[in-house]
Amino acid sequence: MIRVEHLCKRFGDLMVLKDINAEIRRGQVISIIGPSGTGKSTFLRCLNLLDQPSGGRIEIDGEDILAPKANVPALRRRMGTVFQSFNLFSHLTVLENLTIGPIRLLGKPPAQAATTGLELLRMVGLAEKAHSLPDEISGGQKQRVAIARCLSMEPEIILIDEPISALDPTMVSEVLAVIRRLARQGMTMAIVTHEMEFARDVSTRVFYLDEGLIYEEGPPERIFDHPQRQRDRDFIGKVRSLSYHVTTADYDPYALVGKIEGFCEKHLIPHRIAHAAQLLAEEVLGVLLTPLAPPRAVPTGQIVASSALAGTASTGPPLTVKVTASPAPSGPTHPDIELVLAFSEKQRSLEPRLDGAGPPGNPLETANLPDDFALNLIRHYAADIGYERVGERNRLRMRVQSIAGREAVAPIPLVRQCGAGLGGGHELDSATDGDPTEPDRFGRLARRTPATGMTPHQRLSS
Amino acid sequence: MDITHSQHGSVRIIELKGRMDAVTAPLFDKAFAEAATPDASDFVIQLNGLEYISSAGLRSILMVAKQVKARSGRLILTGLTDEVREVFHLSGFHTILRICDTKEAALAELA
Repeated sequence: MIRVEHLCKRFGDLMVLKDINAEIRRGQVISIIGPSGTGKSTFLRCLNLLDQPSGGRIEIDGEDILAPKANVPALRRRMGTVFQSFNLFSHLTVLENLTIGPIRLLGKPPAQAATTGLELLRMVGLAEKAHSLPDEISGGQKQRVAIARCLSMEPEIILIDEPISALDPTMVSEVLAVIRRLARQGMTMAIVTHEMEFARDVSTRVFYLDEGLIYEEGPPERIFDHPQRQRDRDFIGKVRSLSYHVTTADYDPYALVGKIEGFCEKHLIPHRIAHAAQLLAEEVLGVLLTPLAPPRAVPTGQIVASSALAGTASTGPPLTVKVTASPAPSGPTHPDIELVLAFSEKQRSLEPRLDGAGPPGNPLETANLPDDFALNLIRHYAADIGYERVGERNRLRMRVQSIAGREAVAPIPLVRQCGAGLGGGHELDSATDGDPTEPDRFGRLARRTPATGMTPHQRLSS
Repeated sequence: MDITHSQHGSVRIIELKGRMDAVTAPLFDKAFAEAATPDASDFVIQLNGLEYISSAGLRSILMVAKQVKARSGRLILTGLTDEVREVFHLSGFHTILRICDTKEAALAELA
């Protein structure tokens, strides 16, 4: 019915729609969702030429409505539009609002137009308001009148732009009920909406618009239950996020802490989760910045702690901690790291995400750290740690562990954290590093060498 | 991070409040160096007001513990907050460092 190809719309220097390609078939109900300011309403206004597209092609039943000789008024009459602000004629009664179009534009006899108008008002539950003025009815009723007025022009498709955004919450359901009824009757509709549950219920297909594109489209089950891309996952999961850009190893940690605390307070995130988020931010940034700002030097092989420090008899073999060799720092001279703290209101989960320029490789595996303290804190406070390489950048994402999840994790013997198996700590070398055939929580395998069967840390310390 | 020194008999007491992270851990190193006069051997580090400790803080405490050991002294940490206790527990510090609930208990042990 409607085919859109390479549609673009520019307002001055601002390119709102970059390259929209879409098809709307007869009988389909399309919900158009996406963040504010991404061109959803502009897309609708381009479809009925209320906004003139800057480029591309729009066909209705094979006819190019952007062609110079196109009969725009006739084409536009095939599409009705329902606006978020109703746009009723305030000096006409409700019924007159429904009859003026059919009489003047379709040439219908006034009596027939009135009869049809009353039927439509009955359909939207407002026949008793036929002779009221728009100012005498509620917002929800006005929007239902607007829908009835749109139907009075016998459109083949209805474009609905955020039909409830101007309504009191108590009036939302009455309007959505009318639209649901139209959908059941097979009316072709394209609806811009922020009501996700409504979009899920009523749609045959969903367009997720973002960055001037239809970023993802598909049946509602797929878009809402299995969104493929991060941006729509965040949008659908009602993710609120905090961003912090690190461009120097001497970044201001207290500015970051202040932002994290404020963000967590705003979203009522429990203190312990907020604390874990701060710790993860510091530790992961520390790992990512390590090649640029090596930690304070500790002489290699130096024993820095043992159980004798406690001054009490140990119940087991003495523990000894030794710092392993730290290779010379390397890597880019100017960090470019984007830290995003994403909080899903829907799932009540908090995700630190780090995106940094750098050579390929999971920084949690390749960083030149003097010990494993940071990695172990990360491993304990984070779950579902994922790594991917995107373009020239490394992306890490993780979820802050729930309190219960953290407490369920047993502490790791200190001798292993420092990567050493020395002196009195030898007996702990046999402690498992996990099944070498199973990836650990950083998505990596325990990389035992064929010759020695040892992990890199064990080799360094032997 | 606020750091205060005091002395109880021959025992040096260092009290830490606030955050011990990559920025403030060196301040603790410096404070310890000042407190660790040649005649000092026993130390209590009070952590009642420490709300946050990261791996940088852990490294500093380990280095201090090593220095105390080198001078044949004793070191006791007291008053761990829940957050710090959790990090210590996760890192295994509770197995290698002497920890008391209160400063008084630590002083009694060192007496």
